[in-house]
Amino acid sequence: MKSSKTKTKEDTWKSDELLKHIKAAQGDCTDDSGKKSRERKKHKDEESIGTSDSRERRHKGRERDKEREQDKDRVRHKDKERDGDRNKEREHEKVRTKKNDERDRDRERKQERDSERLKGRDRDKERIQKWDKDLEYSADPRVRDKEWDPYAERPKKRGHESERHREKERDRKKERDKLQEKGTEKDENVDQRPKHRQKKDKENLELEMDDKYERKERKHRERKEKEGRSTENNEENKEKKRRSSEFRDEDYDRQYKEPKESGPHDGHREKRQKERKELGQKAVVEEMDRKHRVRKDKEYKEDGKKQRYKDIRDSVVEWRDRERVHKDREKRDWERREDRERKQKLKIKKEKEEKERQGDYTEEQSVKRKKERRSVQETTNESRRKGSTIEQIDSQKKPTESLAEELVEGEEIAMESQSTIESSNYDDDFEDYEDDFEEDECKDEEVELEKEEIPAHQRAEIEAIQKAIAAENEQIRETHTRSHRKIFEEEPKRDFENSQTRGPARGTFIDFVAAKQREISFKVASKQKKRSVELLRLIDLDFSVSFSMLDLPPLNEYDVYIKNFGRTNTKQAFVQCNEDNVDRDIQTDEIETVEKWTQHPGEGNAVCGGANASDALSSDLVAKNIDSQRLTNFLKSACQVISVLLEEDQAENQASKNVQSKAASLSVSDGCSQLNTNLPFLHGREVQCLHFSQAQRQTLLSVHSLPKEPGAAQLASNYMICVWNIWEPSVPQKVLVCESEVQCCCFGPDNVSLFAGTVDGSVVAWDLREHSVMHYTLQIGSQEWTLRTPTFSTDGVLTSVNHCCAVKAVYPVSSACFENHGVGLSLFSSQEGRSGLSFQLASFDESGLLNLWVVVELQKANLAGSLTDLGLIPGGKIKLIHSSSIEVNSFFPRNLMQLGPPQTLSIRFLPSDPNHFFIGTDIGLVSHGTRHGLQASPKLYKPQINSAGPVRVTCIDFCHFGKTLFLVGCSDGTIRLHSVTTERPIIQWNESTQGRPIQAVLWALTRPGMFFILDDSSHIYVWDLLQNVSKPVAEDSLQPDRITAIAILGDPEKPSASSGLMLAKQSGAIEIQYLMKQWSEPHLNELETLHYILQKTA
Amino acid sequence: MVTGPAAEMSENSYSIRPAFQRRFKTAIVKGKINKVLKEELSNKLYNPEEVPYMTRKIAEAIKTQVKECAFERYKLVVQVVIGEQRGEGVKMAARCFWDADTDNFAQDVYMNDSLFCVAAAFGCYYY
Repeated sequence: MKSSKTKTKEDTWKSDELLKHIKAAQGDCTDDSGKKSRERKKHKDEESIGTSDSRERRHKGRERDKEREQDKDRVRHKDKERDGDRNKEREHEKVRTKKNDERDRDRERKQERDSERLKGRDRDKERIQKWDKDLEYSADPRVRDKEWDPYAERPKKRGHESERHREKERDRKKERDKLQEKGTEKDENVDQRPKHRQKKDKENLELEMDDKYERKERKHRERKEKEGRSTENNEENKEKKRRSSEFRDEDYDRQYKEPKESGPHDGHREKRQKERKELGQKAVVEEMDRKHRVRKDKEYKEDGKKQRYKDIRDSVVEWRDRERVHKDREKRDWERREDRERKQKLKIKKEKEEKERQGDYTEEQSVKRKKERRSVQETTNESRRKGSTIEQIDSQKKPTESLAEELVEGEEIAMESQSTIESSNYDDDFEDYEDDFEEDECKDEEVELEKEEIPAHQRAEIEAIQKAIAAENEQIRETHTRSHRKIFEEEPKRDFENSQTRGPARGTFIDFVAAKQREISFKVASKQKKRSVELLRLIDLDFSVSFSMLDLPPLNEYDVYIKNFGRTNTKQAFVQCNEDNVDRDIQTDEIETVEKWTQHPGEGNAVCGGANASDALSSDLVAKNIDSQRLTNFLKSACQVISVLLEEDQAENQASKNVQSKAASLSVSDGCSQLNTNLPFLHGREVQCLHFSQAQRQTLLSVHSLPKEPGAAQLASNYMICVWNIWEPSVPQKVLVCESEVQCCCFGPDNVSLFAGTVDGSVVAWDLREHSVMHYTLQIGSQEWTLRTPTFSTDGVLTSVNHCCAVKAVYPVSSACFENHGVGLSLFSSQEGRSGLSFQLASFDESGLLNLWVVVELQKANLAGSLTDLGLIPGGKIKLIHSSSIEVNSFFPRNLMQLGPPQTLSIRFLPSDPNHFFIGTDIGLVSHGTRHGLQASPKLYKPQINSAGPVRVTCIDFCHFGKTLFLVGCSDGTIRLHSVTTERPIIQWNESTQGRPIQAVLWALTRPGMFFILDDSSHIYVWDLLQNVSKPVAEDSLQPDRITAIAILGDPEKPSASSGLMLAKQSGAIEIQYLMKQWSEPHLNELETLHYILQKTA
Repeated sequence: MVTGPAAEMSENSYSIRPAFQRRFKTAIVKGKINKVLKEELSNKLYNPEEVPYMTRKIAEAIKTQVKECAFERYKLVVQVVIGEQRGEGVKMAARCFWDADTDNFAQDVYMNDSLFCVAAAFGCYYY
C-alpha cells in the first residue's frame, strides 16, 4: 500500500515499467496459462463460495451485539470505505496529500509485508491476468452494444459505466506497479480479517476498489481523529459543487420518489436510468457528499438492514452456484462476451439500484437516523464487505439496504426478472455481491482467453495506456467536473479505439513489427548520423551561386497593345517575297575597244596605226614626216624668243631703270643697257674678255677674272665665264668655271661648245649641252646656279704637243672653208660646221706655236669616265684631238730672225680662207702664213716707213665685207689699213690717238667704211671713212671707269637689226651702247664708195 | 551495427565522388526536360484548373526521364512551375547549399503565348 501512495502518478505511469511488468507477466502466463487460470478460477470460485458460506454462517451465527463488538475495529474500515466512496474522485487530486498521511501506516505494514511476499507474488500473476481481463472487458463495449440492442438507452449508461471502468483501470495500472506491496498488504489484511479476505480477493480483481478503499480507510481514520475538521478540509474544494449537487439531488429525489410511490416497473426503471444517466457522476458525488454529512445517521440506520442483508447473501450464494454452472457450460467463445456484457449489465443495474436506494435512503434519512444508531458496528462491518464492489454502489447501498429493505427487494426482483428474460444470466441485478462474484468469474474466464493473445494485446494495451496516461495527466490538473466531462467525452472514443485496435490485432504481429521497425529505423538513423559526421569532414558544402532560372521582363504598353489588338481582324493570307523576280543593272557604259599599234623610234612614215583607221592614218603619217632636227632648232629658238619676250615685258614693267635710264654715254649711241653682273659670284671680278658668238649674234660670253678681294667667295680661286643672251640681261645663260687664268675664249661654230686658252698653255673645252646634273650646283638665295666645269682639258695630257706657254688665242677653224673659195665662205662654213660638229680649233701661244685641234663629239657618254681620254670629264662628250702644229716663226724672213725670233702677239685667220693666217708681232710687222706651209704673196705687211722699230702690233681686225682689208693697231698709236694683197698699208694714221697705244680695233659689222678704235686710256674713236679719211668722226672718253674689253654687236646680214658696242668696265659692269641709226645703217653703195675713196687717197 | 573488421573496412570506403560517366550531366538532363516540356505543353493554353495536375505530371515525367539516365546514387528533386503569360515580369532564381563538385542541376523553360513553364531538376549526390 505504501508504494501506491508514495509513488506519484508520474512514477507509476512510466511506460517502461509497464512494459517490463507486462513482459514478466506474459512470461509467467504463457508458461502455464491454461491450467493456472483454470485452477485459479476454480479456486476462486471455491473461495468465493467458501467466503460466501462463511459469511453466511458468520452472519447467521453472529448476534448483532457480537458483531458490533467484533467489528469494532472494522467500523473504522467501514467508515473509511464509505468516506472513501465519497472521496474516491477527490483522491485523484489529492493523492499526494494523502501520501503523507498514509505513510505512517505504510511503515507499520512493511514488516508484515516482507513475510508474506511469496504469497503476494502468486497473487500478482493472478492480478495481472484479471487486470488484462478487465481491460478486455472494458474494451468491448461495441460488441455488447450489438447484443444488447433492446437496451437502446444503454450506450449512454455504458458511457457512465465505462467511465467507471476506466477509472478502475487507471487505478489498476497504478497498483500494478506496486503489486507486490499491495499483495502483501492484502494478504496481511486477509490474514487479519479472514472474513474480509475473500472479499479482498475479489477486490483484487477490481484493484481500483482495493486501493481506494484502503486509502479511504486510512483517511477515515485520520479524519475521525481530526473529527469534522478533516472532512471539512476534504470538502472545501467541493463546497460549490455540493450546493449545486444538493439542488440537483432534490430534483433527483423528487424524481425517485415518484417512481417508488407508483411502484417499480420496467418503464419506470428505464426512465430512471435515463435520468440517472443525465445526472451522471455528479449525482453520485453529491450523494457522497450528502452521505458524508449524514454519516452518523447512516450508521444507525444500517442496523436495521442487517438481517435482510443476510438473506440477500444467501440468495447470492445460490445464484453464484448457478452462475458457476452456467459459466462452466459457456466458458469460452461467445460466452465470454456474454459474461462481460452481463457483468456490465449487472453493474449498470447495480448502479441503478444504488441510486434508487440512495433515493430511498435520502427519503428515509431522518427515520434511519433515529432507529439504527446502535447497530453502527454491524452495518459498518457489512458495508465493508460491500465496499469490495464498486465504491459508489457500496456507499449508496449500505443505507438503502439497511433502511429500505423491502422496497429495494421488490425492485430488485422486478429487475432480476427482466434481466433473466433478456440475458438469462442475471438473477439479481441489485445484488452487490453477486455482481462482484460474477465479475470475478468473468474476469477469470477472460484471463484464460486472453493469455493466448497477450503479445498482441499488450501492444494495444500499451498504446491505450499511454493515451490514458496522457489524458490522466491532463485530468489531474483539472477539477472534478472537468475531468468527468472529459471522461464522458472520451469514453466512446476510447471504447472505439480499444475495440478497433484489439479486434484486428488478434493473432497478428503488426504492432510488434512496427516496434521492431522503429528500433531498426533508430539504428539506421544512428548509423547515418555517424556516417554523415564522417562524410562531412570530407565534403565541403557551399552555397552555390544563385541560378537565374527565368527572367521574363514585363511587356511594355505597346507590346501589350500589339499582343491584344495588333492581330485582331487581320489574317495572313499569303506572303509575297518576289524571290524569282531578279533584276540586274549596270550603270557603266559599254567598253569600246580599238586596236592600235605604235613603234618607237618611228621607222619610216608609219609610226603608229590601228585596225580600222590604218588607211586614213597612213596618209597623215606621210604628211607628218617631221624633221626632228628642225623641230629642235625651232623649239630652241622659240624657247629663247619666248623667254626674251617675257624678259622684255618684265623689264618694261620695271621701267628698266638700270638699263634705259642711263643716258647714252657715247656720242654715237642713243641708248644703253646693262647686263646684270651684280651676281654674288661675279661680284668684284674684272671682265677681261667679251666675245660674241658667230652663229648667234645675240649670244655673248664674258670672261671674269679673279676677284679683287680673294677668299671672299667660294669660287674665289676660279675664273668665271658667263654666257649671256643680250636680250636677257638679268641672268647669264650659263656659268662656267675654270681653274686657271683664261687668256682667250671663243664659241665653237655650232654655238654648243666653248673653248678657252689658259695662261698655263692648256686648251679647255666646254659642252654647253651637258645636263646640269653633271656639274656642281650652287645655291645662292632662291636661285640655283650650275657651275660647269670643263668637259675636256688638255692640261696635263698630250704634253708632247701641248702649248708650253700662255695661249694667246683660240679660234675655231671650219673645215668647210677649205672647199669654198670666194666671198661668203664663212657663211657656208658656219653652216656646215654646225651640222657636223667636227671642226678644227686653232690655238696659238706666245712662242709662235700654232696647234690645230680636231673637236670630236663622242657618240656615247661614259659616266664612269674614260681610261684613254684623261682630260675628259666623266659623262663628257667632247674631246680635242691634236691635229697638227705649225711653227709660226718659220715664216719670218732671215733678216728678222737675226735679232732673235720676234714675239708673236696675235693671230687672225682670213675670214674667207681659214688656211691663211696673219700674225702680229712685237716689231711692228704682220706675218702672213698658211697652214699648209705654202708661201703667201706678201710675206710681211710693213708700215709705210720701213723701220723695224719695237712696235707691238696689238690688234688685227678684218673687214667683214668682201674687201680683203684689215686694220692693224700698234702700241705706238699708229693705225694701218692694209689690203691683203699689198705689202704696204693703204692708209696709215700716226697721231690719231696722240701716241696712246691702241687697245682694240673693231670694224663695224653693218657698215664697211666704219670702225671703232679703243686706246688704253678708254677713249673710243669712231671712224667713218666715207665722211672723213684723215681723222675719226667722233671721239668719246669714258673716263671714270676704264674699259677693259670691248665687243661689237650686230649682224652683217641684217643691217637693220640693232647694233651696238659691248663695253666691259673695270668695275665688272657690262653695258651695251646702242649705235644710232646713222652709224649703224649702211649707206647706199657704201662699199664702192669706200673703194673709190681708198684708191683716191692711195 | 557493424562491428569488428567490417566496421573498420567500411571506415573509408565512402564513395565521395561519382564516376565521371555517372555524373549528373546538365546537358543531357536539360535535353530531357526540354523534350518533356515540349511534349506536354505544346499548344496548351493556360488553364488554372488543369495546371496543378500538369505540374505534377510533368515533374513525374521529368523524374522518370532523368532516372533513365542512370545517374548513380543521385537523389533527384524536380520542380515545375507553370505560370500564365499576361505580360507581367517574372523572375525565378534558385540557390542551393550543396557540394558543387558532385551536385548539379538542369533547367529549361518552355514558353508559348499563353503560359510559361520552368522546370528544374536538381541532382544531389548521395555519398
